[in-house]
Amino acid sequence: MILLSFIVLIPFLSALILGVIYLYDPNKPREKLYATIGVTAPAISATIALVIEAKLLSMDASTVFHYTLFEWIHIGKFQIELAFMADRLTAVMLFFITFIGTLIHLYASGYMKGDSGYGKFFSYFNLFMGSMLLLVLADNPIIMFIGWELVGLSSYLLISFYHQEYANVTAGNKAFILNRIGDFGFIIGLVVLFISLEGYGYTFEAIEANIGLIDHPTLTIIAILLFVGAMGKSAQIPLFVWLPDAMAGPTPVSALIHAATMVTAGVYMVARFSFLYNDTPDIGEFIAIIGASTALLGAIIASFQNDIKKILAYSTMSQLGYMFIAVGLGAYSSGIFHVFTHAFFKALLFMGAGAIIIALHHEQNIYKMGSLKNKLPWVFIPMLIATLAISGIPPFAGFFSKDAILITAYSSEHYTIWAMGTITAFLTAYYMFRLLFVVFLAPSIRDHKVEPLANSMIVPLIILAVGSATAGLLGIPEALGGSNLFASFVALPDKPLHILHSTEYYLSALNVALALLGTALAYKLFVRRIHEPLNNSVWRYVVVNKFYIDEIYTFFIVKPLLLLSKFLLYFVDGKIINNIINLTVYSYARMGITFASFQNGKVRYYAFYILVGVSFISTSMLILLGGF
Amino acid sequence: MESLLLSAIIFIPFFTALIASILRLSYTKLRSFSIASSLIVFGLVLFLAMQYDPHGGMQFVRTVDWIKNYGISYHLGVDTLSLVLLLLVSLLMPLLYLYMWHENRKGYWYNMLLLQSGITGTILSLDLILFYLFWEMMLLPIYIMIGRYGNGKRQYNANKLLLMTMLGSMSMLFSILYLGYTHFEVNGFWTYSFEDLSVLTFTPSIAIWVASGFLLAFAIKIPLFGFHTWMAPAYGSSPTPAVVILSAIMAKLGIYGIWRFGYTLFEEILVRYSYHIIILALIGLVYYAIVAITQSSLRRMFAYASGSHLSLITLGLFFANIYSWGGSLYFIITHALASAGIFLMIGLLYKRTNTIRIKDLGGIASQAPLFAVFFTFFALSIAGVPGTGGFVAELLIIIGAFKYDLWIGIATASTMLLAMLYTFWMLQRTLFGAVGLATQGFKDLSKKEIVMLLPLTILLLITGIAPSLFIPFIEPWITITLETISQNIGGL
Repeated sequence: MILLSFIVLIPFLSALILGVIYLYDPNKPREKLYATIGVTAPAISATIALVIEAKLLSMDASTVFHYTLFEWIHIGKFQIELAFMADRLTAVMLFFITFIGTLIHLYASGYMKGDSGYGKFFSYFNLFMGSMLLLVLADNPIIMFIGWELVGLSSYLLISFYHQEYANVTAGNKAFILNRIGDFGFIIGLVVLFISLEGYGYTFEAIEANIGLIDHPTLTIIAILLFVGAMGKSAQIPLFVWLPDAMAGPTPVSALIHAATMVTAGVYMVARFSFLYNDTPDIGEFIAIIGASTALLGAIIASFQNDIKKILAYSTMSQLGYMFIAVGLGAYSSGIFHVFTHAFFKALLFMGAGAIIIALHHEQNIYKMGSLKNKLPWVFIPMLIATLAISGIPPFAGFFSKDAILITAYSSEHYTIWAMGTITAFLTAYYMFRLLFVVFLAPSIRDHKVEPLANSMIVPLIILAVGSATAGLLGIPEALGGSNLFASFVALPDKPLHILHSTEYYLSALNVALALLGTALAYKLFVRRIHEPLNNSVWRYVVVNKFYIDEIYTFFIVKPLLLLSKFLLYFVDGKIINNIINLTVYSYARMGITFASFQNGKVRYYAFYILVGVSFISTSMLILLGGF
Repeated sequence: MESLLLSAIIFIPFFTALIASILRLSYTKLRSFSIASSLIVFGLVLFLAMQYDPHGGMQFVRTVDWIKNYGISYHLGVDTLSLVLLLLVSLLMPLLYLYMWHENRKGYWYNMLLLQSGITGTILSLDLILFYLFWEMMLLPIYIMIGRYGNGKRQYNANKLLLMTMLGSMSMLFSILYLGYTHFEVNGFWTYSFEDLSVLTFTPSIAIWVASGFLLAFAIKIPLFGFHTWMAPAYGSSPTPAVVILSAIMAKLGIYGIWRFGYTLFEEILVRYSYHIIILALIGLVYYAIVAITQSSLRRMFAYASGSHLSLITLGLFFANIYSWGGSLYFIITHALASAGIFLMIGLLYKRTNTIRIKDLGGIASQAPLFAVFFTFFALSIAGVPGTGGFVAELLIIIGAFKYDLWIGIATASTMLLAMLYTFWMLQRTLFGAVGLATQGFKDLSKKEIVMLLPLTILLLITGIAPSLFIPFIEPWITITLETISQNIGGL
């Protein structure tokens, strides 16, 4: 299937072409050309992806397509091919990455209008698409890691896109460095895995076939280390702090990279290694606990933010937490299903937010918006649908995927995780409707002059709104009369669940009730609110400042590191090592001075030397000749 | 003809300098001469590389008696290790000449010509006395370049470099003489050919002294931790062509020395004490990287970065397995390309702004996008981002490290993190943010400058995207050498 390689190569090629054209003459306005190339490339990938997905759908569940481009490296037993693989898990990822990716590219062609870095933006954006597709299509962990790092790089480039602003570059650095901390764990895990299976081949399939050869302690270490990679990329505790800052990039970037695709790579990776995590249930539980904590923390912070993009960023972090609950507890298909539905509604929310930001001339504070319902109806309706979806109101997409995760937690008797997930569900409805009410319904102090929005921005919103409304229907569980098409399609090795249908009904009903309660609370508190709430209690103050986690990291890690650097330079290098060496030189010079002083031209000294010399020689002669 | 090939490669630059000085050429003519000589040498090296058989061991060997009474001979030869370095030097020289295009101080050109002869001679010598001779010969032009054409406390720093390096050279000379003398004592005739000397066996207590004599010279050249105080001052004061050679080539010659002579003359000692050197190199790897973070000048920052990566290459050498050796040799290539690129660009930056203090820079990206792209690319190559050759090399060394030991492996992998810390903060302060005073009206790269940087960029990309094009070239030599060592000492 040579088509597989086209999916990846076309965006890369287009990124290269765009980059070269842009650099050839950065100041020439060529928006049409850039947009055409920039949007066409992912569209072609999306079309090819559709062909492959259709084929996979019509074939047996175990069908896997392969294509080898060339041998990447072969030294000793380390043999890696630049090869692609598409099974059903890949197909799901491919579908939403290329489909939503194309829509966001289209949206961006309108959003970035008038920006001097238009060509550069699309070059980076396509570079990201290529890297992300490389990540999901890779047939071995090393190529996956390359894609994994390249998405991090393109994310860095796009976060610091407005690089004249120093703070944006800081945000980019922070993202890249925290991701690299994760990658550090990831690559160690991969290398330990390779060493343990040296000579047995290093494709995913070969690893799966030989995983039994690794002893359990080693397997546990590998499982933890790989997850560290996921923590970085998917913004889990404690490596999440980069995600909110990443909102410094243009909004389409937040929609595509920091909501729909890149941040879910960690979940994909865990699902890809499901055969490994099924053998290490302890680590799975650990992942689920991290996921649940992240979900709750994200939701709490999101409830107190005022910046529309920050709210959505924390919300993304929180939803990613849900996904890790699922994959941690062995419900891989539920996790991937939530990745899938989340991609639709979260991309939509970000794009809606971007549309508002553009319409209001780069205003991001929700309390400075207000009563936009009638001014931006085609933003309001899609965002309403997305909000319903993320809040878990049936029959919108988020209900089915989130429900499946909470039911897994409950039925596998992880009640704490379940409780945390359920509280998060309540908070999710609360903070999302808070956003919606404040932005669209609450009265506004000022009368906004709304910038007209390009069709290229509105159309993707509507398409995604349809998706957010209906994507969940692919995964209707048996208890609700469906057959969970999605789970049977992705065919992941889920752990079996044992739960009564009646329990499922209770749980679902509870979730819906909580979501409605959250909505009602948000309505009561915010639908008439005009002013920002004051930070008048310690609790609020702590939460608004994100529990001071950034400050804690700065104080305990960044500052000491810088101090250490200075200390090593000025003290160890400058004082100790340098002085030892200079001391040698100094004593040598000192010696020279001392000896030179002997030769001072004074006769009495010379007479003294002669005296000493003569007596020395005569004494030794006497001794030698036996005179004594 | 073929028997003269290596000599021609060594001496063409030397004779170019000699003839030019006799003819008292003007600098423009000297420039044409130098460029022509460097291109001819490059052509010859390419020809050599095409004739070279990766499986063939030492090739193009030429031995002529020189000082017969003491068994000193003019003994040259090339194998994969030396060919890699040879290719790098001969590729870099024309690019450096392109960089020096408007340089009208003739001493610059003469020194560079002599430097090339010194380096290629060092790489190709198989006789230890000859090796020592060239080893010293390449030091002098660098000394003059820094002392005469450098900046800052140039004379002090040049002296520091000279004295520390000489200290190493002296100890190496003692070891060489001791080896030759022992050979005479044991076998009855003098020789300084390293192949003959490698059959000598010593008691461990003596061997460690002989080995230390060599290792001191190489440790200072690399430099390993503790022997590095000349590094940052010398890099900081060097004119650009000298700093490129220092970091891209000369630092690697320390590695080369250990590889070529260490692993043939006293491999047993190296393997037995590898753990100690690994710890030393690990300290260097972490220490240099941390010190690099807060450096105030670009050159000094990349000097420490370079030190950190050379420690990594040394680590790869001492893990002594196929992955780590492959990684180290690969890193020699990619680090030479990337550090040449970055130091050339720092030179270009200095030409434009008259400063390399990071604090004074900023906002370059918004005025000179091409410059920013190339600069970022080289910096990322040094940091080992996938898609560039540095990643492949680091990955292989890390695999080798884990094969050696789990904890050592983890410590080695930390290079991935540490490189990020200094690279990204430096990029931010140099290229991004508001335009600084020094960077106002910063001119983008000219065509000539692009031509100079493009070969490095393309090679770094190819080494990153398709390492399989290069690995088959270096792997046979590594396999054979490792097997030989393993046989000599009965298993690694």
